[in-house]
Amino acid sequence: MLTIALPKGRLADQTLDIMEKAGYDVSAARDKSRKLILEDKDAGLRFILSKPSDVPTYVEYGAADIGVVGKDTLLEEGRQLYEVLDLGLGKCRMCVAGPAELKDKLDEIPNKRVGTKYPNITRSYFEGVKGESVEIIKLNGSVELAPLTGLAEVIVDIVESGRTLYENGLDVLETVADISARLVVNRVSMKMKEEEIKPMIAKLKEALVDEE
Amino acid sequence: MGNKFYTPDGFNDQFPGICGFKRELESKLRNLFMLNGYEEIETPGVEYFDVYKEFVNEEELYKFTDSKGSLLCNRYDGTIPTVRFCAGRNDTLPVRFSYIENMYRSGKAGGGKLSGFTQGGIELLGASGAKSDAEVLAIAIKSALEIGITDLQVSIGQVKFFKGLMNQLGIDEEGQTKIKNAIANRDSVTIEKLDISKEDKETLLMLTESGGTYDTIDQILPRITDEGAKEALSNLKEILDIMERYGFLKYVSVDLSLIESIDYYTGMVFKGYTYEVGFPIISGGRYDDVAKSFGKEIQAVGFSISLTLAITALMRQDKYSPAKGASVIVGGDFETATATAEALRAEGTPAILDTTGMDEETLENYAKEKGIETVMFMDGGKA
Repeated sequence: MLTIALPKGRLADQTLDIMEKAGYDVSAARDKSRKLILEDKDAGLRFILSKPSDVPTYVEYGAADIGVVGKDTLLEEGRQLYEVLDLGLGKCRMCVAGPAELKDKLDEIPNKRVGTKYPNITRSYFEGVKGESVEIIKLNGSVELAPLTGLAEVIVDIVESGRTLYENGLDVLETVADISARLVVNRVSMKMKEEEIKPMIAKLKEALVDEE
Repeated sequence: MGNKFYTPDGFNDQFPGICGFKRELESKLRNLFMLNGYEEIETPGVEYFDVYKEFVNEEELYKFTDSKGSLLCNRYDGTIPTVRFCAGRNDTLPVRFSYIENMYRSGKAGGGKLSGFTQGGIELLGASGAKSDAEVLAIAIKSALEIGITDLQVSIGQVKFFKGLMNQLGIDEEGQTKIKNAIANRDSVTIEKLDISKEDKETLLMLTESGGTYDTIDQILPRITDEGAKEALSNLKEILDIMERYGFLKYVSVDLSLIESIDYYTGMVFKGYTYEVGFPIISGGRYDDVAKSFGKEIQAVGFSISLTLAITALMRQDKYSPAKGASVIVGGDFETATATAEALRAEGTPAILDTTGMDEETLENYAKEKGIETVMFMDGGKA
């Protein structure tokens, strides 16, 4: 029996589509009830639906063998996991954004204040990659408000189309990382359930190639 | 003191039945280590911070100062204090030491992992070569089997192989860190994006996909030209040969992506896994350079097993039975009861003597609640 942690929402459905294409019977997981654990004994699969940012926790601790999680969450949480496959879903970028007039002038502002939902990614980007100290202001949503209200000079956030930014007079200043959904595997499960997991990875890989 | 009843985050009490069970496992380990000639030592549990600072992230150490202002820390692992101990003496090498102690790691708790936990382990100091590596690996496997972990998978890797391969591919230090992380995370996405030849990518991907035994080595060997990497593979081959003689080959697989996060390993490394815990319960390898930090040249290899994680695994695998308390309680006339309890203890039966003067009914009820099998109520010879 393999336990698979899926992030509630669109990403879960898209993952199930790929699994179906790879030849797995995932009808149990399509159940639209409010059940959080969906099990199919015959297929040897058990699905758990969790908050996206909790998926790496379930997988790292071994409560789930496999999980699907955005690269943003992986970077932010820094978990000990095997990151085996890029599912190519939920593609976007992690960016530094701010007022459009700051373009190419970002480095000129000393002691920047940065608003973000991703304090760890922000710290490792500014300290590790750019080699500068910044003040990080942790926010939980509508991060774009921070530069508009003067709470921070810039933000670090996920950018998909960039529409929210543009409509508020903001722009992408720098790209921190490319983001997409990844298939992650618990390090112990990879050893103890190798016979189930390795073929699954191979089949999913094939299904992804077919799609391209 | 609102939190008087609680233990700090990451630490817990050992309840009576579990503590007894744990002591039984410790005895089994102690006996195994002794049978293999590893003498037990005890280090104080408090070390100078300087002892650890080269090897462990500062934030993972519990630090404090003594009255002279020296910076101290709690014991983080068994290996470093053992090497310190050995380096400070002039024993004829090799020496074989073992320990069973509590370790303290700040900020590592969760998923069955605690900040304070118990490890048993051995260190073989002053011995190089595959035969020494294999001895430690074999005892690691025996230790898991001895305490009841029979669903066991041990992955062995080689730090020198990775170093040699990087040399062969001509990759600079910055690139090496990136590749190291990618391989340790089995992150094929990053590897495929690297700016190296297709053939080299294939070689790197073989590391992330390894998991067999001899076949894994034979498959990658033709691609290897670096002498160090070749030696590393032949070291693994020799270890496999010895494992086969022990009958342990079924527990072992070669995992070339096993590139330890702790950088002090210099040769073969291994991790042991079982069902129902998300973390390895066994960890070990060769660390020839650690003693240099203490000004000595001592080639060494060792391993540790986490009893705390092993007990979690055994409980979830339904292989746990709590240690039993006393099977008899003796009450009634105190003088007769004392004599009876002492007689029982003399023949090896754990017996409780009632010191509170319970009447027969109270004593019966008490015994029932506590799961004590036999109640003996003494009437002082008046009957």
